Amino acid sequence: MRIAALLSDVTDAKTFLLLQKKSDVYSVEINGLKDLEKTENRDEEKYKDLKGNKKKKNEELKKELDLDDHKLSTSQLEEKYGTSIIKGLSSARAAEILARDGPNSLTPPRATPEIVKFLKQMVGGFSILLWIGAVFSWISFGIQFAQGAESAFDNLYLGVVLALVVILTGIFAYYQEAKSTNIMASFSKMIPQQALVIRDAEKKEMAADQLVVGDIVEIKGGDRIPADIRLISTQGCKVDNSSLTGESEPQSRSCDFTHENPLETRNIAFYSTTCVEGTATGIVINTGDRTIIGRIASLASGVGNEKTPIAIEIEHFVYLVAGVAISIGVLFFIISVSMRYKILDSIIFLIGIIVANVPEGLLATVTVSLSLTAKRMAKKNCLVKNLEAVETLGSTSIICSDKTGTLTQNRMTVAHLWFDNQIYSADTSEDQTTQPFDQSSPSWTALSKIVTLCNRAEFRPGQENLPVMKRVVVGDASETALLKFAEVVLGDVMNIRARNKKVAEIPFNSTNKFQLSIHETDDLDDKRFLLVMKGAPERILERCSTIMINGKEEPLDSEKAEAFQTAYMELGGLGERVLGFCHLYLPENEFPDTYPFDTDSMNFPTSNLCFVGLLSMIDPPRSTVPDAVSKCRSAGIKVIMVTGDHPITAKAIAKSVGIISATSETVEDIAKRLNVPVEQVNRQEATAAVVNGMELKDMSLQELDEILCNHSEIVFARTSPQQKLIIVEGCQRQGAVVAVTGDGVNDSPALKKADIGIAMGIAGSDAAKNAADMVLLDDNFASIVTGVEEGRLIFDNLKKTIAYTLTKNIAELCPFLIYIIASIPMPIGTITILFIDLGTDIIPSVALAYEKAESDIMNRRPRNKKKDRLVNEQLAIYSYLQIGIMQSVGAFVTYFTVYAEQGFLPSTLLGVRVDWENNAINDFEDSYGQEWTKYQRTYLQWTGYTAFFVSITIQQVADLIIRKTRRNSIFQQGLFRNKVIWVGIFSQIGIALILTYGLGHVTALNFTPLRFQYWFVAVPFAVLIWVYDEVRKLFIRRYPGSWWDKNMYY
Amino acid sequence: MILLFYLVFYGFLAALFTFTMWVMLQTLSSDIPKYRDRISSPGLMISPKPDTALEFYFNKSDAQSYAEYVSTLRKFLETYDDSKQSQNINCTPGKVFDQNDVAVKKACRFNLSELGQCSGKEDKTFGYSKGTPCVLVKMNRIIGLKPEGEPHIQCTSKDPGAVEINYFPSGGLIDLMYFPYYGKTLHAHYLQPLVAVQLAINSNSTNEEIVIECKILGSPNLKNEDDRDKFLGRIAFKVEMTE
Repeated sequence: MRIAALLSDVTDAKTFLLLQKKSDVYSVEINGLKDLEKTENRDEEKYKDLKGNKKKKNEELKKELDLDDHKLSTSQLEEKYGTSIIKGLSSARAAEILARDGPNSLTPPRATPEIVKFLKQMVGGFSILLWIGAVFSWISFGIQFAQGAESAFDNLYLGVVLALVVILTGIFAYYQEAKSTNIMASFSKMIPQQALVIRDAEKKEMAADQLVVGDIVEIKGGDRIPADIRLISTQGCKVDNSSLTGESEPQSRSCDFTHENPLETRNIAFYSTTCVEGTATGIVINTGDRTIIGRIASLASGVGNEKTPIAIEIEHFVYLVAGVAISIGVLFFIISVSMRYKILDSIIFLIGIIVANVPEGLLATVTVSLSLTAKRMAKKNCLVKNLEAVETLGSTSIICSDKTGTLTQNRMTVAHLWFDNQIYSADTSEDQTTQPFDQSSPSWTALSKIVTLCNRAEFRPGQENLPVMKRVVVGDASETALLKFAEVVLGDVMNIRARNKKVAEIPFNSTNKFQLSIHETDDLDDKRFLLVMKGAPERILERCSTIMINGKEEPLDSEKAEAFQTAYMELGGLGERVLGFCHLYLPENEFPDTYPFDTDSMNFPTSNLCFVGLLSMIDPPRSTVPDAVSKCRSAGIKVIMVTGDHPITAKAIAKSVGIISATSETVEDIAKRLNVPVEQVNRQEATAAVVNGMELKDMSLQELDEILCNHSEIVFARTSPQQKLIIVEGCQRQGAVVAVTGDGVNDSPALKKADIGIAMGIAGSDAAKNAADMVLLDDNFASIVTGVEEGRLIFDNLKKTIAYTLTKNIAELCPFLIYIIASIPMPIGTITILFIDLGTDIIPSVALAYEKAESDIMNRRPRNKKKDRLVNEQLAIYSYLQIGIMQSVGAFVTYFTVYAEQGFLPSTLLGVRVDWENNAINDFEDSYGQEWTKYQRTYLQWTGYTAFFVSITIQQVADLIIRKTRRNSIFQQGLFRNKVIWVGIFSQIGIALILTYGLGHVTALNFTPLRFQYWFVAVPFAVLIWVYDEVRKLFIRRYPGSWWDKNMYY
Repeated sequence: MILLFYLVFYGFLAALFTFTMWVMLQTLSSDIPKYRDRISSPGLMISPKPDTALEFYFNKSDAQSYAEYVSTLRKFLETYDDSKQSQNINCTPGKVFDQNDVAVKKACRFNLSELGQCSGKEDKTFGYSKGTPCVLVKMNRIIGLKPEGEPHIQCTSKDPGAVEINYFPSGGLIDLMYFPYYGKTLHAHYLQPLVAVQLAINSNSTNEEIVIECKILGSPNLKNEDDRDKFLGRIAFKVEMTE
């Protein structure tokens, strides 16, 4: 019933399935239609597709879930699956079935075909514009060629170059994308699961994906269940179904048919759950996608993927730039036509304007920057599956985190002790080697003995060299905690146990609620037996008549019982699991060393014992988490804990890691403090809230929204993984960018739904990893925070990169505009522009990705999706209309200088375009009366291109330096801290030198060797750009909120 | 506010641009350009230059068909008229006329009579009416250029029988005394030497397109074989005469 209840928690399950109980048959059903009606229309479109899809699957599932294997006897099963429980299947038969059913693994979500991905890169972003440019070039080539013009081939080449640019950047982006996908692929293949199978009457270890229906498999504690299995023999087998149901308590498994319903019956173990202890043998009844988990996972994969924030930002940016390019292009097309330019010429201008306006290299740069960050994040244990998720993490405003394993260490650890009427704290850090509390009391000696002896957990052999905390233990969580605790404090526990031989034992069971054992003592003079017992504190206390204080047994009066109660309540209130310990030395005369202890008849005293102390355990928070949470807090990120645990434990952990801060109170806390009923408390006053899954179930969406809105510190306890989806949707309704951590299969819808789903690398199931955008390799919450930091940094740095790249577009565009309007010789060629965009500018713009944060980026609020755009008005205007224009001025000065020094004074140049470009005029007179042939003019024009190119490059160096910061002075940031920037600067100048002097004789490239002094003409302008930007930043810092700040800060 | 800002900003940039341009122009001499390396060797050009790229089409009996060529030639030769050359001096033929030390550069006289039948004095139609059209070949002016050797123009036709070529002055000689050129400001009255090429088109070859290529020869520092520049020291044009 539990599963049914949990699964039906999904009230708003428009995207999720619902498991409903229908008499004795379980059917998986999506109440798609009904829920679709319920949800607002906005979602309708989006899910139309899914609806259709799911209906089909639904039918299939209904049919197949009519599972009756749990009702069949072993022999019926053997018959049904054509197998034998002793011999197993034959290899040949297994191969047949494998061929029929396919491998026993979950089909990963259907990937987009590679060719589609590739084509998407080819037409995405600016590519369309460039294709248009290329097509226009070819058209004008065709026309000119037909007319027999000499320069026709220039346009052919230009078209080819443009097409090449698109194809190359497309290939590059595709390659980058593929590379990051491969990281993920290699990761998921790292640990192939193995299974122990009986085939051909032999036990074989084989890869779990080779399993087929009818195979006989053996499982033992610690194994993942390799398929859906009908158990046929078990020994103390317990499974952890948390990945299926979210229930973290291990459930025992046997071969008995205990329940009509296959999900509840004890004799079926499910794929991808874990066997916690014991052993079992079973028949595989379902494999791969036909397993229960497989069905859930395949349905979950239907949840729509939203566009990542950075994708939206880049789209916005592409629209912006394309809009500018097209409108300027069309405007000047009209102008040039009305200025009586030939249509063909006007088209060529149009191409030039498009090429000048489109930052061809930028999208590739963005990809590289993102993948650099992804790499950096992978080093910090955040493995990003989708490059764009890098930035999404940075814009996260709410993190819904699991507790176990993410916030905590995922292991029980002794946290407190109580003896001699006093509470002692134990060290719970990850790498403890000693315990600092006072160990001098004789009571401790007695307590430690009980802890050591009354414990069945053991270290796996062969781990002596490992630190205690890292050793693998066979035993349940509490016993493990006690064993490790004792090992740390006392040293060699196994040796102590050996010296105190166990003579009898009653293991823990849920009726007794205690565990007892009787030992010989290692004191050779003392022939008495020692009876030790541990268990639920109140039960232990009932059995005691005395209590040990400072090593002396004292009668247990009401005052001492009161002290016990207080301590018990206090430790319980910390959310800790408390155990009581007591002992009794059996009198030697009644129990001689030959005494036959019988645990069934209990021929020994189990009351009037001596109470020694309490130990309390908790799954302690990871030591790095409190810091990470407070970082989140200062970064304006709300951390919400979502856990299946008990509210008290959840709250205690939340408090200890700072999710609920020390000063804030829940409604219940306030009620308790003011001593009034909960209903009378003003809910607005409480900053914190602990919401129980049961309450959540009955909540309307409005109520949930209210909670999410009104409380800054929220803990959801006792929630099912399905409720996570509701919580995520609730957060998204607040406009938040939500990151969600998860590990179970049932988390996958929430992971998908979240803006960024974070799967646990260690504890996570494959389904969760498939659904997630990011995998946390160390399962540590603190790693998410470093990821957030990287994500925010890359957003800032992309802004800088884009600002840097856009600036020079104006310096590339202005020449065309002035060429058209003033009819001067062409200042810069289209090919030359491509050499800037894809040559000199590439490395510097990537280098900006290495820039350090200007201030503590974790001290500001997450960016507002709607307001803080990647490319905002200020950035565009500042780059285009200010720095860009300054660059143009600098470049034009160089251009005019080159022409003037060769004999063409600026006044001569105005209006000369038609004659200048006339092939028949070979005695073109300059300002000094000299005459030039066409080729001599063209060569001079190329020199002009080169000079213009060099000037832009030089000024881009200044642009690069100013873009290092947006607010701080360059001197605050440090000119030399980012070494890669200097690599960028040197590469930029190096490439320019090579193009100018190395390739200056290759005619097609339109570069010519340039007089050295022309490199310096633009230097004053570069300096001016720097100074101007410093002034801008100074005013921004000086006068925050002023007109200047609003208009100049991007 | 925004407008004001941009007004000031662009005003400043405009001022800065003007200022730097002014500074740059101050560094230039008004007499000779700073660099002349892009035109180390002169190109050749012809007059008249037909609108249709260097192709002459005319009917020798239809005055209208060559009227434009004739008027262009006439106009071109106006500056060579004796009346315009009064202040020009007679220089020593065959020698470079160096005037580096002289403040006012003198121009050498170029007598139209040297162009013989192509001077337009005897035949007002420059031979077009007789089927012997004249084309003037000139060498581009380049400041400071001093040709070496004995530069002369030589034209060839692809079909040698189609046309008989006469040169004025004879041998297509370009006299060294016209060099060097000192530029528009210093050498205001400078006249560049001309070579008239008279094409006596064979009557068999009327209605045919004749390709004529003229080159400057006899001077080692005047290039005429550049791969890319088809007009450097040479020029090709077509003539088609109908009757």
